[in-house]
Amino acid sequence: MNLTIARGAFRTAPPLFDTAVYAIVALMIAMAVVGPMLAPDSVYVSDIGNALMPPSAAHWFGTDDQGRDVMWRVIAGSRATLLSAMLIVTAYSLIGVLIATLATVGPRWLDETLMRMTDIGLALPGLVVALGFAAALGPSLQSAIVAKAITGWPVTARLLRGIMRQTMTAQFVVGAQAMGVSRWRLMTRHVLPNSLDILVVKWAGDIGAAVLVLAGMSFIGVGAQPPSAEWGAMIASAKGYVANAWWVVAAPGAAIALAAVGFGLLGDILQVRRDPSLRGRS
Amino acid sequence: MLFELNHVSKSFADGRRGRAIALDDVSLSLDAGQAIGLVGESGSGKTTLIRCALRLLTPDSGSVVYDGMNVVDAGRAELRRFRREVQPVFQDPFASLNPRMTVEQLVGEGLIVHGIEKNAVRRRDIVVETLEMVGLGARDLPRYTRSFSGGQRQRIAIARALAIRPRLLVCDEPVSALDVSVQAQVINLLQDMQRALGLAILFIAHDLAVVRHFCERIYVLHHGRMVESGDRASVFDSPRHPYTQALLGAVPIPDPAAARERRNLRKLNRLALGGAAFATETR
Amino acid sequence: MIQSRTEDPALRPGAAAGADDRPASAEGDTLVEVEGLTVDLPHRQGATRLVDGVSFRMKRAEKVALVGESGSGKSVTARALMRLNPKLTVAGRVVVDGIEVLGLPERKLGTVRGRRIGMAFQDAFTSLDPIMPVGEQLMEALVVHGVSRREARQRAVRLLAELGVTNAEGRMKAYVHEFSGGMRQRAVLAMALIGEPQLLIADEPTTALDVRIAQQVLDVLEDVAERRELAVLLITHDMGVVASFAERVLVMYSGRIVEDANVESLFARPLHPYTEGLLGAVPRVDRSVERLVAVPGVPVPPGERPAGCAFHPRCAAATDVCRGVVPPLRTFGSRRVACHHAEERGASDAV
Repeated sequence: MNLTIARGAFRTAPPLFDTAVYAIVALMIAMAVVGPMLAPDSVYVSDIGNALMPPSAAHWFGTDDQGRDVMWRVIAGSRATLLSAMLIVTAYSLIGVLIATLATVGPRWLDETLMRMTDIGLALPGLVVALGFAAALGPSLQSAIVAKAITGWPVTARLLRGIMRQTMTAQFVVGAQAMGVSRWRLMTRHVLPNSLDILVVKWAGDIGAAVLVLAGMSFIGVGAQPPSAEWGAMIASAKGYVANAWWVVAAPGAAIALAAVGFGLLGDILQVRRDPSLRGRS
Repeated sequence: MLFELNHVSKSFADGRRGRAIALDDVSLSLDAGQAIGLVGESGSGKTTLIRCALRLLTPDSGSVVYDGMNVVDAGRAELRRFRREVQPVFQDPFASLNPRMTVEQLVGEGLIVHGIEKNAVRRRDIVVETLEMVGLGARDLPRYTRSFSGGQRQRIAIARALAIRPRLLVCDEPVSALDVSVQAQVINLLQDMQRALGLAILFIAHDLAVVRHFCERIYVLHHGRMVESGDRASVFDSPRHPYTQALLGAVPIPDPAAARERRNLRKLNRLALGGAAFATETR
Repeated sequence: MIQSRTEDPALRPGAAAGADDRPASAEGDTLVEVEGLTVDLPHRQGATRLVDGVSFRMKRAEKVALVGESGSGKSVTARALMRLNPKLTVAGRVVVDGIEVLGLPERKLGTVRGRRIGMAFQDAFTSLDPIMPVGEQLMEALVVHGVSRREARQRAVRLLAELGVTNAEGRMKAYVHEFSGGMRQRAVLAMALIGEPQLLIADEPTTALDVRIAQQVLDVLEDVAERRELAVLLITHDMGVVASFAERVLVMYSGRIVEDANVESLFARPLHPYTEGLLGAVPRVDRSVERLVAVPGVPVPPGERPAGCAFHPRCAAATDVCRGVVPPLRTFGSRRVACHHAEERGASDAV
């Protein structure tokens, strides 16, 4: 995600652009939380008579092959996709933090063991492993979530361990040690608070990526299954009709893209705010 | 005798080349209430020495003795006492304080860690009292270090060390990173605190003028060895070791006439060396 | 080794330079003339004034120390002489060897940078590119001006040797980080001097160095300045370095010059309270004092300059006029001082 290119493409002043990104992200989260409650029940009910109608005043994004309003399905499905993505990233981030903390503060052998496990985790292609898990657990949204959550931690763990080890050498940490601060307090009051701000950046960016992965898994068939309104599943069930009814794919596709880009840019914006010297780099 | 290093040696693995000796049979001692200075340039081993003195590193040989206790072999209770009575003050006022803690938390942390005052209200009182000793005040309690200048941060660092009433301060270049006018303030503060609280101070610096001003006894460290030691007058007025002499000769004196004289002497020296233009570094 | 110059005929600044609050100096050998220099840092709410109306002159081959603490504006002032402040707004008059620098079109700045003024930055990695061998950079500076590679190489090696770099020939291929502290500073000096400038600006050249190396570097600087009749503007906060090196001293505080005197007078009889404070605050290695004279307060950051005399909040002798009126830089004989109470403090026209 190159922030400068994006900003340059839109040719707006940075603050305006940032606000736009925040707005998009906020809107999507609001949609995910509130949307499914507002969606009419017809979202899950077939109405074949109305199938594959193009966008109109009644149905802003038309209807799909079952006659359901596409727009409302996208809104309803946002919970599945978006909140699931957030859940996944939050879960593996926490796992990563735990592992990194244990590796930093524990005995050498623990650090070695955990890092070798991390190496293995990094070496395995994440998506393939997740697919395997999901297939083994039986295809469903839940299994996709679990699969991605347990395969995403190595990167976070490695990143945070590096940062924590560096923070350990900071002078204020050394000073605290000399003062007699216990290891526990050292970690919780000194090292962790000063190591975790990068996590927020990664978290935001990762949600965008997770949306893509989740939708992708559903598209292949190992994630959410129809009639779930999950975006990837929507596209999967609509792929046969693309030639005649482009709108069935367009809406969920646009939603996926918007979510991925929006959160990705959010991550970049947070990174620049954290360290203004990075402005101008991706 | 409050604190001594006895024949301390420490070396480190140095890549493929074997071991690099950081400290070689180094000894120093100080009495309660005394200010002693350690002069060392970069590469002298003073960082290693400080770490050994603060028990952040274990010497390969020799002993570190505080108030009769062998620091390296100390048991838990003794070690706690050591950690309470010996406090560091570091060089970089920007890196030595946790940026996410308020002044109150920073200065009060020692009181919590050593169980000196568990009651939050009384603890705050002690913190305020200590801040006032260093020229800050109650209004600074909720502030974060980023809103303070370098000199003020050093005061906070000193307050943090003093809050638990240590007996020995180990100061590693405490004023080097400060503006000249502020250096004097912090030096005066340290002197005042030393007298008021009867503190012993181990003052490590490369600036000989500051060391002369502050310390009664001086040690000179060069490439891991203690090459000279003595009281202020003898080290500065009649240094014995060539390194000390060279160091003293190189410190610029804020007096144009004296400086000119020295400059001319050096020039004559250079010319006398037969056009071998400049003395080059030993490294 | 001063090469001949083939550019616009020098304009003689002469007495038409403006206000009469400047010390009389032989017009013929004035190399640098700065008048009313102001430098602002623009930002959303307006601008912060970093340098506020600085005026001074330098003669050819004169060694001047520019002294100040943080926020004094000394580095910004020095860089303005070559317009090295791209993000700042610079106004006033800066004349170097007859050339009006601030009015020069961008493409003509090359006649000043490197050719008339050379700058040695404190951080070696600002002066020299870390990924190119030092020799290459030195040669490049000459080659772009039409010198043949072979001659450029010879000159570079000779310069390094002149500055005391051992094995100059071999070091040409080395990178900056491969040089140790003092050698690095010499490489930095070489980069500044390769264009054979008439003025060398050295920004804190000895601050990060060990004492003995620092002394060597200063000696090198002195010798090369003498040999080449180089004017030197040495920026520093170390009064010992000032005493050892300078002929004249400019003391800056909060973007203004507060005192301008020859080095002996400054140390013997500092007129401005700030100068006096600086001198009293410095411990000496050759004598002991009971207590250092600490100037209270902190050097004022650029955005927070108080009204009137910028130093008044920290000055023991401040009176109402100090709080309200900015003291002008006034001339007393060969000295200048910006203090309302200069006369009471001993300023007079008797040199």
